[in-house]
Amino acid sequence: MNKLKKSLALIATLAIASTAFYACGDTTDPAGSTAEESKTEESVEESTEESTEESTEESTEESTEESAASGENTVPETGDKLSILCWTGDDVEKMIENFTDNTDYTADQVEYVNVGSSGGEAREQYANYFAGDEDVDLFVLEADWILDYINNDDYTAPLSNLGFSESDFDGCYDYTVSIGTDNNGVLKAASWQSTPGGYVYRTDLAEEYLGAKTPDEMQEFVKDWDTFTATAKKLQDDGHKIAMADTLGGMWQVWQYNRSNAWLDADNKLIVDDYCKTYADLAKEYYTNGYVTKEDQWSDGWYAIGQDDSTMGYFFCTWCLGKGSMLSNAEGGEGGKTYGKYNITAGPSGWAWGGSWLALSPKCDNGEIAHDFINYFTVDASTAKDYALFKSEFVNNPDAMKAIVDEGSNKNDLLGGQDQFSVLYESASTIDMDGKITAFDSQIKDAFNTAVTKYAKGDIASYDDMITEFKTEAAKIEGITVE
Amino acid sequence: MATAAQRRIKSVSYAKYGYMFILPFFVVYFIFSFWPLIQTFILAFSENGSRTPGIIGFDNFKTILAKPAANDFKAMGIHKSFWDGMKNTVIIWCGNFLPQIALSLLLAVWFTDLRVKMPGKGFFKVVMYMPNIITAASVAGLFLSLFGDSAYSVVNTLRGCSMTKDQLLAAGLSAAPEPWKIITSCWPSRILVMFIQVWMWFGNTMIMLMSGIQGINESLFEAAEIDGANSTQTFWKITFPLLKTIMVYTLLTSMIGGLQMFDIPYMLHTGNVVNDYIKTVAVFIYEMFHGNFAKPSFGYSGAASVILFVITSILGALVFYVQRDKDAIEKKKKQKQAAKEWKRKQKGGGFSI
Repeated sequence: MNKLKKSLALIATLAIASTAFYACGDTTDPAGSTAEESKTEESVEESTEESTEESTEESTEESTEESAASGENTVPETGDKLSILCWTGDDVEKMIENFTDNTDYTADQVEYVNVGSSGGEAREQYANYFAGDEDVDLFVLEADWILDYINNDDYTAPLSNLGFSESDFDGCYDYTVSIGTDNNGVLKAASWQSTPGGYVYRTDLAEEYLGAKTPDEMQEFVKDWDTFTATAKKLQDDGHKIAMADTLGGMWQVWQYNRSNAWLDADNKLIVDDYCKTYADLAKEYYTNGYVTKEDQWSDGWYAIGQDDSTMGYFFCTWCLGKGSMLSNAEGGEGGKTYGKYNITAGPSGWAWGGSWLALSPKCDNGEIAHDFINYFTVDASTAKDYALFKSEFVNNPDAMKAIVDEGSNKNDLLGGQDQFSVLYESASTIDMDGKITAFDSQIKDAFNTAVTKYAKGDIASYDDMITEFKTEAAKIEGITVE
Repeated sequence: MATAAQRRIKSVSYAKYGYMFILPFFVVYFIFSFWPLIQTFILAFSENGSRTPGIIGFDNFKTILAKPAANDFKAMGIHKSFWDGMKNTVIIWCGNFLPQIALSLLLAVWFTDLRVKMPGKGFFKVVMYMPNIITAASVAGLFLSLFGDSAYSVVNTLRGCSMTKDQLLAAGLSAAPEPWKIITSCWPSRILVMFIQVWMWFGNTMIMLMSGIQGINESLFEAAEIDGANSTQTFWKITFPLLKTIMVYTLLTSMIGGLQMFDIPYMLHTGNVVNDYIKTVAVFIYEMFHGNFAKPSFGYSGAASVILFVITSILGALVFYVQRDKDAIEKKKKQKQAAKEWKRKQKGGGFSI
């Protein structure tokens, strides 16, 4: 009897202690309890049996034709679900919806896995995730840190494993292909989007203050940076108390893209050129004179200025203009105070901001569907076009975009029915980010932006002090040298 | 000679069950606390820029502690960030601990005073403990929206910074006031962090001090009252001296916690970059191994952690040394001496003094 009591007590203790391990469990599982999961697994097995019979017949026919031209798909076919990792569902969930609507694949066969609440987190979470034995087939990489991953064979596999050849991506923007290619010339990632940006402005205020009735007329007021500054000055002089640019962070995105040098040279040495000074002085001028608002990018205030006449406009790029995106927030959502009162023009200089790539994990075990998924969004012009209209996305396919612009079928409600693609199509063809991004961009950018903001605010007295602070901060990054 | 039954009883040892019961704790402790501790020490002597670093010796400590050459930006960056972090940590901890202990002590004395008949004591205790229950992330978010740099934060809105042109006209003002940049300014941001720390932790400290006060024999307070001591006298002559041990404990835990202060300073910012003026050593450690994915600086993080560990140990030892019970030590010494004397006498060779 005593023994029974003791062993019961021991078991109870162990049970309580074992709960200490519980928190270490899978946090990346999106709201799925294990019971639920096993249930869906069963149903997936059932449904895949049915649907794969039909779909594989069709799609194998297609892909065998293709693979005759561009190599074998050597990725195994043992998994039951295509898992796509990303840090936000904004894109991937819409992509899955569009993909499963228009193919024979069912929603059960493709799954979005959330690995973190920001891109920076995902950068770390992926490595942790890969170390475990969870299912991973495709994952999304961001321009700021794509080089970390595509140059590491433990994390990414060549797209040729899926049967793609480089010529398959001839229809894409060249720069997206060269960024997706690693140091050894192997294509590792494919982008589904191009990200040209423009200047999004308030139509009502432009007409009232500047007399600009159309985007073309407005473009005259913002056609280059001198004119842009002059317009900002005019607005202040007329007593309108309105800024021309949204935030210093937003301005820097435009300027940073137009740098002629990358941040690092071939030996990973930090390059600080005259361009930095030109921008820092401009930032200070803008900040002191109220040509730019004093809000921070990505804060609540960033959106609030879009509704209370604090700013004439924003520097936004393609992925800021869709439903539920930044522009939508700046307008206060549907029915918001400035809903639909914005238009887009090319702005003072052409620019692009970020971009996302789909990469293949070496652990991928759904070769067929992984191939079809990448093919759907990058190679196939007709499906890419379909997705462009579905998500208001600027897809990585000039022909598809040209067709949309020519048809004039795209109307963006956030822009009062204007077609943003017609404005951005021109500048997309000039995007050249090749050789201008480095593996350390996100940190260097943060360090520079912080230093410039302090300089503009007056916390740092001189430009030289600012550069010293920037260099000291950047030097902390392991792997780059600063002199 | 023991009987068989007696022998059997003697041989029943319950010790093994005790070990069994504490085994789970030790397993968990070794995996999640002890091994990471050892690992930190190993990392402190390892190289930077690799996920599987090799040992390089004392270089990391040299970079952090020694004065860097004027043109060596890397050493300057690491050295400066660590010492700035140290400075911020000490400043914020002092500005947090002193007001916190004063406030907690005052409240603890009031709440335990026999003469104070305050209704709803329990309610106040719960309310004052409440901030401690909220997660640091929520607290940081709350204070960011209250005191943020934006013209739309609560404080700046109340000051009229976010007034539209029409509202300005109506109010007869020519321009809206400049928004206060509390979060990115030096002292305002530090004071805000101090305040948050006090606000979050004074309830906890108060409860601890109250239990300390309640541990004091009540008859002492009664005797003091009968002797005509007023509240101040009771506090300084009875409560405070007898509360010493619990105060030492509070000081020690607060110091250890304060040196490792991380959550609020790390989260109280907008954008991607943590505010320099409230960056603590713990934030520095985190950023060094965390910021750079492909080439993490585990070495510098490890070295800074070890330095922090040494500082904490020294301060802890110091507190114990200062607060040691001098009477007890004196007594022990005397006892030892007496024993020696006695031994000498026993030997017979001695003489009495």
